[in-house]
Order: sequence, then structure tokens, then C-alpha cells
Amino acid sequence: MGKRRLVIVGNGMATCRLLDELVARGATARYDITVYGEEPSGTYNRILLSRVLAGEAPDVIVTKDAAWFAERGITLCSGVAVTRLDTTRKVVETSDGGAHRYDTAVIATGSQPLVPAIEGATVAGGALRRGVFVYRTIADCLAMREHARPGSSAIVLGGGLLGLEAAKALSDGGLHVTVVHASATLMNAQLDPMAGEMLARQVEGFGMFVKLGCTIESIHGDGPDNDVALDPAPRDGAVESVTLDDGKRLPADMVVLACGVRPRVDVAKASGLPVNKGIIVNDALATEVPGVYALGECAEHRGRTYGIVAPAWEQAAVLADVLTGAGPQARYKGSKLYVRLKVAGVDVATMGTMDPELETDDVLEIVEQRRNAYRKLIMREGRLVGAMLVGNTAAAASLVQLFDRGDAMPADPLEALCPTMVAGPVAADERVVCNCNKVTEAGVCAAIDSGCASVEAIGGATRAGTGCGSCKNELTRLLKRHAPPRPPLAAVG
Amino acid sequence: MKTHCPYCAFQCGMRVTARAPEAPGDAAFDPKAQPAFDVRADEDFPVNRGQMCIKGFTSAQLLDHDARVTTPRLRGRTGQLVEASWDAALDFVAERVLAIRARHGADALAAFGSGALTNEKAYLLGKFARLALGTPNIDYNGRYCMSSAAAGQNKAFGLDRGMPFPVEDLARTDVLVLWGANPADTMPPMMQWVDQLRERGGKLVVVDPRRTETARVADLHVQPTPGTDLMLANGLCALAISEGRVDDAYVAARTTGFEALRRHLLGTHGAHVERQTGVSLDQQLTVVRMLADAERAMILSGRGPEQQSKGSDTVLALINLALLLGKVGKPASGYGCITGQGNGQGGREHGQKADQLPGYRLIENADDRATIARVWGVDPQTLPGKGKSAYELLDALGPEGGVRALLVFGSNVAVASPNARNIERKLAALDLCVVSDAFENETSAHAHAFLPIAQWGEETGTMTNLEGRVILRERVRPAPAGARTDLEILCALAARLGAGALFPSSEPEVVFAELGAATAGARADYSGITYDKIRRQQGVFWPCPSVDHPGTPRLFSERFAHADGKARLHVVRDRPSAETPDEEYPLYFTTGRYREHYNSGAQTRQVRALVDAKPEPRVQIHPRLAATLGAEDGGRLMVESRRGSVAFNVAVSPDIRADTLFAPFHWGGKQAANILTVPALDPVSRMPEFKVCAVRARALPLGVAA
Repeated sequence: MGKRRLVIVGNGMATCRLLDELVARGATARYDITVYGEEPSGTYNRILLSRVLAGEAPDVIVTKDAAWFAERGITLCSGVAVTRLDTTRKVVETSDGGAHRYDTAVIATGSQPLVPAIEGATVAGGALRRGVFVYRTIADCLAMREHARPGSSAIVLGGGLLGLEAAKALSDGGLHVTVVHASATLMNAQLDPMAGEMLARQVEGFGMFVKLGCTIESIHGDGPDNDVALDPAPRDGAVESVTLDDGKRLPADMVVLACGVRPRVDVAKASGLPVNKGIIVNDALATEVPGVYALGECAEHRGRTYGIVAPAWEQAAVLADVLTGAGPQARYKGSKLYVRLKVAGVDVATMGTMDPELETDDVLEIVEQRRNAYRKLIMREGRLVGAMLVGNTAAAASLVQLFDRGDAMPADPLEALCPTMVAGPVAADERVVCNCNKVTEAGVCAAIDSGCASVEAIGGATRAGTGCGSCKNELTRLLKRHAPPRPPLAAVG
Repeated sequence: MKTHCPYCAFQCGMRVTARAPEAPGDAAFDPKAQPAFDVRADEDFPVNRGQMCIKGFTSAQLLDHDARVTTPRLRGRTGQLVEASWDAALDFVAERVLAIRARHGADALAAFGSGALTNEKAYLLGKFARLALGTPNIDYNGRYCMSSAAAGQNKAFGLDRGMPFPVEDLARTDVLVLWGANPADTMPPMMQWVDQLRERGGKLVVVDPRRTETARVADLHVQPTPGTDLMLANGLCALAISEGRVDDAYVAARTTGFEALRRHLLGTHGAHVERQTGVSLDQQLTVVRMLADAERAMILSGRGPEQQSKGSDTVLALINLALLLGKVGKPASGYGCITGQGNGQGGREHGQKADQLPGYRLIENADDRATIARVWGVDPQTLPGKGKSAYELLDALGPEGGVRALLVFGSNVAVASPNARNIERKLAALDLCVVSDAFENETSAHAHAFLPIAQWGEETGTMTNLEGRVILRERVRPAPAGARTDLEILCALAARLGAGALFPSSEPEVVFAELGAATAGARADYSGITYDKIRRQQGVFWPCPSVDHPGTPRLFSERFAHADGKARLHVVRDRPSAETPDEEYPLYFTTGRYREHYNSGAQTRQVRALVDAKPEPRVQIHPRLAATLGAEDGGRLMVESRRGSVAFNVAVSPDIRADTLFAPFHWGGKQAANILTVPALDPVSRMPEFKVCAVRARALPLGVAA
């Protein structure tokens, strides 16, 4: 029997993980795999885009280059967009007019940035105005780098994770940066108002400006006639300024639109797959149409779509199990969300619910205003259902395990915030120091108190250290710690 | 008289003196139990420098022990072992072996060795299996100890010597990471070097799911979820790269494979590592910075990361870290494995491993076969091929698996193997089980013949310690009448099997000379080592290719052992353990050691002082989990896995993760921790997964027996 043809549409992070999972299960022996990626590069880690924006070469974030694909006999068609699947003939149709047979298709088209309907954001033909950017791809970052100049100014619309990341990178590049955010607090999708305010302080501390509760009404370009009063209509030139919805007008050399993303479902729709917010899949990541699967940010599972990488990884493992037969009964049950960020220099960890949802939920909050640290736990029936850590994330690792597993919280929830503070039930002085002769620390200390001033003397008094000798260093330490202060030299006979 | 301890790979130098009839002041020990010798640590031996642990200190109690066997025993018609003469016992074994071979072929025969055997015995046992039994089936319990580290080091460096530097270098490094190692309990005299390091201002980092005695003295204790060592090590490598801490010049000059590793690690997601390992990103960063900032830094692994189904890959990830930071081959720096068994190092070099011939030669390499065949004076065609690895070999015992006769030397496989109940069943299905030991144990309960042997102080032989230092464990007294040495037994059996001409001598020094010749030119080259040289130099580090060569205390300072002289960075992909907790079995279970006992306890459970100190295994449980389960300190807890159940007494302690139970594996029978463990094997090293499986637990009401 020949190999079956597996086509993957999209070459983003979900595909990257799916390929790893497939290869680990020996899928290349069973399938001829072809990956279609619209972008010209290999697979890259989108989470690290800010490094490219900050000036590093795009290759530093490429996880699978052409050689990786070649070594594994996987075909990468980069710079080629899939337009639709003919799911009855099982053919992939591409933007260059190609048509290719498949046996199994996986759609992993990810998300696309939301471009809000702002007057002047686009020019005739629908393209973004020169100086207006979205932040999603390597190409976006390179275009921004090309445009940004130290000392020039940037307005970032959207104070969510991506917006703040872009803002920080631009600010680090020497630009004057203003973050404009429609909600009353930054990162309101992940943080409560208290945390959002702390973050805003930190962002401002880095030299950026934050305007909350407002948005951009219009974007203005420069043109032959630069007199706004005479001709307020936006022109087709590069960005020159923006008008906020409170009427204020800010000069700006560039505008970054970071207003969120939405699942990219164009291929799925064109192929007649059932689509709601995202492409509808079941627990096996299968769409209703036989032979077609979907995963990652473009997929909608049990009514949910996800915008972070961890669920895509979990889905990739399940889909690889299903497609290779390594675990035909593997099923994806949805993900518990854990978000870990370092944004504008602040460590943030959030999981589960942001606020109490039931009257019986309990909340523990610890606020350290001067340290700009905030920790909040939400508990339901003795289990952790949500946590938010800002500025002090030392407990994040142990909390997320409690959250993931639904384990019982410590009787005192403070204990869960201090994972490294362990109280011993055995008092230190009951600890056996010399186990050949069963001498405890208390016994050794008593000997020292009664005048033993050397390891040998302690041995004479207690037998400690007279067996195998491996506790002699410990005895020396105890001597140092417990010996009475030496009398001044003159007093020594 | 100077000799060395019978237990672990530290091989403490000891001074043994015959005891005066009425030695005063030893009330702590039963005078009856320590009748013949006084044991003192050797102040002059540069490894233990006058220190020992309670195991070695009490080891003389084994020599004239009441339970010691000094007459061969054969299984009688009643099912009891009855005493027999040596001739009768050896004839019986030889006749059975010949009959089984005639009927089922040589593949139905197997030998099982041990990391406790001297180099001479390991060498001769490998030769015996291949030439006298004619079987490919020989392996040893070192598979359960150092095989993952050996596989990793061979892949990365082209050579496996547990530690590529003397133990004294520990005191000279600036940051020491002990990863899944607890020498304060398992190798107490080693801690003097760690203490010295800390007195100098050096830092100690301990990675262990338990806050062990070693972790207590650490500057930083990292407490990962069992089975996530690989993910953690990969995460640290990814951080080293993303934080710009890679030693680029070193990586370019001394390694290959960086670009593939870098791209692979780009896919590492810090939040995911944190979530799975339970180790905070802050702590991960701290470790990377400590190591990178240190002029000298060392990572030593123990059984924790190694005894997993991904053990060899975990070792590779640790080596990756050390290489990325530019530490390997620099003074007092690099990666090392803390070998466990007394001769775990030498035991894996001289041909008692299924795939190897003496000197680390490979049994499937034509040149290696030809070389060894020449030394042994046989046709290379007659050498068998590669046999089964330890667990697979034991799992194949009995009519089903086809291995019908097993000769065991110095190993208590019934206790030391994972899924121990299965191995006991397989042992019981043998047509012939021969155990060569000084004490009866859980394995010999299935023996058809028991051959009593000389003990550590009663025969001379070389051991290769954790540093790769070949030492001489001298005889301090003659063996009691009735006991014979393993070498004598092998020669006597070989003669009865028609191969006597190939086994001309059972004299250790003669066998060692043959071993030296067999390893000449090989990676583990012993050809320049002699007993006299060992005595003169306080041990000789291999490789030592000629009589005028001083030995090689430090490896890799100029080049690695691969043909191009470079170390290999490896892409090692994380994967789950064979068994992870689920709704049915929601807890992790891990195994380890007590200070007072050694491995399967076959020796230490015979020593009164040790049994008094630690009479039984207790399951360690966090107070929070104990409260959830209703378990109390001193109460009983039934621990169940998919393979069996054990009722343990409980030790409640905050020194363990709240999702994990721990028990030591030194006991057999109903208390055997290995009843619970999972027999999943590392695909490369064939190491079983002793360190992680899934269990459930319930408190037993008082008064319920085990």
C-alpha cells in the first residue's frame, strides 16, 4: 500500500507542533506530508516576533528551515496560499492555480489581526495606509523596522499583550510611544483593574505614555496640502497624525493596530466547512467533512476558540495520535488556560477565572503597592479556580499545578503562595547527626555547651564521629555555630 | 591491612585490623555481630580521606555472619535447599546446562552479572557466557544504574567514563549542580568535597523532587515534578540561548550540532516548562545565570534523571547545557555521572553487557570481534552476537521467553528489577537457576543450585570507582573453608562444559593481565595498569595504554573522543513518562535509597546495626496529602499501581512534593517498592523507569496487617 497524502494548510505554530508530534510518531512512513505556508519563510515562533521588531534577523526565530523539511522528506510550499479545498474530489487549490490531491487535510490557518473601521486607516484599494501597521508576521515587523526612526513617534492602538509588546520594542528603539486603549485598564482580557493599574504604572515607568478609555477616531496622512484646518479629509500619504475619540489630535509617524485577532476561516468557508467563530471541530479535531481536520487558533472546539499556544500544542498531540493511529482514541477535551507573560519588564502569570464567579467563591488578595506586586487567588470548594500574579510570580509554577489537577489547596492558602517555605515537623535538634552512634544534634550541642571544644572532645563525650567519620564536617559546623565566644587572647592562659 | 569497601562506587579506602578478643567500648554494636575485624577509614586514600559511612564501617559484620552460606546447596526433592559437595553442585549445574543446550540451543542459556563484581570477574563472566555457555545472553544489573549516563556520554563525547575528572575537582568548582543525586545519604564521604566547595564560597544547587539531606545544605533546591527532568533540562538550555548566555567561541570550536539544537529549542515555551515541571521560571533563570556566571561549573547526575524511560536523552540534555555554557573539558568543570555500584564503571567496560566486549568494544563491530577472538584464541565466527538487555532478559525467562537456564552472579534481581512480581514469576519458571552469592536472598529462593562465594575481604581484585580510577581491593583474610571465588567457579564450570582450555587461571592477577591485553587499544584501555602500579599510585585512571603511562585523571581538556575531536550537541525531544498520574492512579511514585542500606539490601539487611537503624521501608508523604488521605505518621498506607500493591508504614514529611510518594527499594517480598514500578525501558540504554510511575493510595486502619 502506498503512502497516503497528508496536506497541512498553514505553516504557523500549530503546524510546527503538529509536525513534531507527527514525526515523533513515525508519520513520515505512513504519509507524504505537504505543508502550504503563505509566508515566504520556514516555520517560526510567533511569540518571539518582538525580537525581529527589535532588530534581530528573522532567521533567529525560525524553528524549521528548509533543511528541516528536506531531511524529513516533508514538502514545504512556502509563499503559496491555499484558496480552497474541493472536499469531494479531495483536491487542494492554490493561489498560483495549482490543484493537488490529498487523502487527509489539516487546516491550521491561525488568526488574522482585526483591523478596526477607523477612518483613514486604509487607502483606496483597501490596503493599510503607509505608516499604519498590524503586528502578526515577520513581514509586518520588517515593515515597521523600515519605517520606525529613533525620535519619531508611534501610536499603538490596543493595550493588550501584543500591543504592549510592540510598544515596548518601539520604545526600546528610541521612539516616542503612546498606547491608546479602549478599556479602563491595560490587558483587561487577562488582568483585573488592580493588576492593570500596576502594569500601567510600570509601562509609564519605561517612558511610554498610556491613554485609557479612548480610541482612535481617524488617521490622517500627509499630502500636498498639509493644512488640516483647510482640508481635514485624510489623504493618501503616510501617517501624520491621529484624532482620538475625545477630540484630541496627536502627531504620529506611525500607528500600530493591535486590537486583537480573529480566527482565520477564509479557506474553510470557501471549502464549505461548517464555521462559526472558528472552524467547528469535535474532540478528535475532525470537521464534519470526512478527511478534513482543523487545529490551532482557527479551530472552534465546544464553542471555544483559543488565542494562545498551549491549547494548540495539546490539540497537536491528539491530532497526531489520531492521524497516525498511535492513539486512535485520543480525544481533546478543551484546555485550561495559563498565561505567562513578561510584558514591559513585569512578570505576569494568570490562570483560570479572573474574578470570583459564584457567591461561594473565596478570594485571597495580597497587594504590595511599593513593590508593585499583586497576588490574587480565587478558590472554590477548597480548589484553585483562578490566580493572578503580577510582579511576583515565584509561586506560579506550583499554583498552576494545583489549578491544572484540581488538587486540594492547603488549609491555609498562604502556604500555596510560598512553595519554598517548608516547615519541618522534626525539630532540627532531634535530627540524627552521627548515625553510627545515633547522636542527635541536641546531644552534640549539649556537649559543646558543656565545654567540648573540638571534634575529638565531642567524640569523647558523645561518641559522635567515632564511627565511620562521615559526620565530622557536620560536627565542625556545629562547633562553629554553637561554641561560646572565645575569651580575649590575653585571658587565655 | 588496606583494602576497599564492599559497597558503592566511592570505594572508600579502608584499614582493616584483626580485632583483639575483648575490644572495649563498642557497646553500640552487638559484639557477636562484629567478631573478626575492626574497620577504619583510610586517612591516606585521596578519595575518602579518612571518612566512610555506616555501611562500610559495619561491613566486617558480613564476614563471619551467622546467615552466611559456606557449603553449596542444591534444591532437593522436598523443595528445600540441601547441602552438597562442590563436585556434586558443579556437576549438577554443568549437566543441566549441557542438557538444556542440547535440547533448546545455547540461546536458552543466560548469565546475569553485577556492578559489584571486580573487573576480573566481570571480564571472565563475559568470556564465560560467550565461550563456555556459547550464548549471546549476558547482561548485568548495571543496566539499572548507569546505563543511561553511559549511553549519553558515549553519544555526546564518544567516551563514557562516569566522571571525567577526579572527585577532588568538586572542591575546586564554583557552582556544583547535583541533579537527582543524594550523596549525603548514598555516598556520605563524598560530601566532604562539597563541604570544601562551600567553604570556599562555591554554590551548591540540588535538583530533586525530595528535599533530601543533600538538598538541605544546598544554596538552591529545585524540586521538579517526577519525570520532568528532560523538559527542565531542555528549558534551561533554551533559556541559556534566549538569555544570550551561550559560550559562542567554545560552541564553535569544540562542538557540532548547535544550529539544529538552537532551532529545536526555539519551540520551547517557558510557561509550558513551568507548568509541567513545577519549577518557576525565576528559579530556572537563577540556575542558568549561576552556571553561566561561574568561571567553573559542574553538573553531576545521579539515578534521578537517569532511571527513566527517557534517561539517556535527559543525560544528553544535561550535557547540552554544560556544552552550551562552555564548561566541559575546562578545569573543575563539566558533566559527570555519579556511578552507583561499587564497580558499576568497570562492570560496564569489560564485556558483561549484552552488546559489548572488553574495553568498551562492541560485539557487533567486526574489528572488535576479531581483536577479542584473537586474544581469546577462538574463531571470530564462534562469538555470539548481541543479546538481550537486563530487564528484557529476565522477562524472557521460562518456557515462554525461551531462556531456560540463568546463572546469577552478585545480583538480587528479584528485588532490584521493576515490576518485581513479574520477575519472580519468571524466575520460578526456569529449568535451571543458579545463584552465586554469600547469602541467600529473594533471588536464591528460586535457585536450583546455590554456590557460596568468597566475600570482599577474602579475594583480591580491581574495581573502577566513580572517577574512572582503577583500584585494588586487597584480600585481608582467607575465605572460610567451603567458599570459593567467582573466578574459581567460572573456571571449574568452564572445564565441565568442555571449555577448560580457554579458562586456564582463576588467579585474579593473571586474569587482570589477560583483561589488560584484551583492552589494549580500546577506548577503556587498561593495558598499562598493573597491580603494583595501582598500589604505588593509589589507583590508576584509565585510559592507561602503556606501562610507562601514568593514567588519565582528566579527560576532554584538548579534544573529545569522536573522530573529529568535537562533542556532539543533540536535539532531544521531550515526551511524557511511560505512566503519568490519571484519575484512577492520581499520584506519582518514586524510589530511592536510605543511608543505611545498599541496593537490594542483600548485604545490608544482614547487618544488625543497619537493620536497627532502618528496619523497614517507610513511604514518605507530604502532610497535605497525608491529611487528604487520612494517613498518619507511623500508620499504614496501601499503595497500589497497575502492577501490584504494597502496604508501607508511613513517614509524614514536608520534604517531598505533595503529589508524590517515595519509598526506598532495598527490601524484597511484600515490602518491595519495585512491585509498584513500571518496566518501561529507555529505547537506547534499556534502563527501566524506576523513578516515576502512577499510583493510588489509601490509609489502612490500625491493626490491618500488610
